[in-house]
Amino acid sequence: MADFTWTTRSPLQQAVIAGRHGAAIAKAGIRLSEIRDFDLVQVFARRGQWAATAKAAKAYFGVAAPTGPKAVTGKKGVLVWSGADQFMALSPRLGTIQPVDGLRGVFEGFASLSDQSDGRCLIRLSGPRVREMLAKVNSLDLHDGVFPIGAAATTSIDHTAVNLWRDADAPDGSPVFNVLVFSSFADSLWHTLVDSAAEYGIEVETVSIAVD
Amino acid sequence: MRIACPFCGERENGEFTYLGDAKPKRPAMVAIDGGAGAPGEAEAFYDYVYLRDNFAGEMSEYWYHGGGCRSWLVIERNTLTHDIKSVRAAPGAGAAKAGAK
Repeated sequence: MADFTWTTRSPLQQAVIAGRHGAAIAKAGIRLSEIRDFDLVQVFARRGQWAATAKAAKAYFGVAAPTGPKAVTGKKGVLVWSGADQFMALSPRLGTIQPVDGLRGVFEGFASLSDQSDGRCLIRLSGPRVREMLAKVNSLDLHDGVFPIGAAATTSIDHTAVNLWRDADAPDGSPVFNVLVFSSFADSLWHTLVDSAAEYGIEVETVSIAVD
Repeated sequence: MRIACPFCGERENGEFTYLGDAKPKRPAMVAIDGGAGAPGEAEAFYDYVYLRDNFAGEMSEYWYHGGGCRSWLVIERNTLTHDIKSVRAAPGAGAAKAGAK
C-alpha cells in the first residue's frame, strides 16, 4: 500500500501567476496578492452573550471586538465584523496548534467557534486604480469619505459573498482592500478580478503571513 | 430601490431576497400539535399557510440580507411607490440587539 502524504495546497494555486498581467502600462494600476498561511476562526456569540464575548475578545486580542462593520487590529490578529454578534479572527498560521484550540479557553461557554482557515481564501487588492476596478464588480461606495481605513462589509463581488475590509494604505498611498472568499469560489472570483483589472495593468504576487 | 440594513448600512436591493408578508402569525393547531382540535382551526391554519393579501400600499415584509450579513429584516414598504418607512431586524439571535453598541 502506498502511503499518502497530504500536502496543503491553495485553491488558487493554479490561478495565481506572479508577475505582470493585463495592459502593458509602465506602472501597474492594480496590485493583486493572495495571502496564504493564515488562521481564521469565526466567533459567534451565543444568544444574549455578546457582552461576555466582547470582553473575552478584548482581554485576549487587546482590542475591542467590532460591534458594527469594522475591522480592528489587535496584538494577536485582526477582528473582522461579519454580522450581528459575530466576527472573524484572522491571524498568521501558527501550525503548532489547531486554530480553534487556541481560542477554545478564551470563549468557552458564551461563543461558538468555527475554523474557517482552509474554508476561505484571502485576496488583497491595491494600486492607484483599485477603486475603479472594484466599482465594476461591487455596489459599495468605497470612497475615502464613506469607507475609511478599518471599514468592513459583508457584501457580494460579482454575486459571490465576501468579507471586504480596508487595510492601511500602501506605501504609494493607494488604498488596500482585503477580500475573504469561500475557497470553492476563489478561483472563479480571482479570474473575475483579473478580468476587471486587466485594462489598468496588474502586478500579481503571493504573500505568506505564517509565523515560522 | 435601496435598503438600509440596520447592521450593514444602505445596500442595493440585489443583495436582498424577498419572502413576503410579515404579519401572519402561526395560529394554534391543536389537532396536529397532539390535541383534539377545535372547530375552524384547520381553516385558520390553511389561511395562514396559503392565503395572502395582495397589498396596494403600505405593508410589512420579511427580507433576507443574503448578499450581506445574512440577517432577516422586517421592512415597512409601500408597494405602490417603493418608499421604505422603516427597516428593523426580525426577532432572533443577535438581531434582538440590532443597532445596540
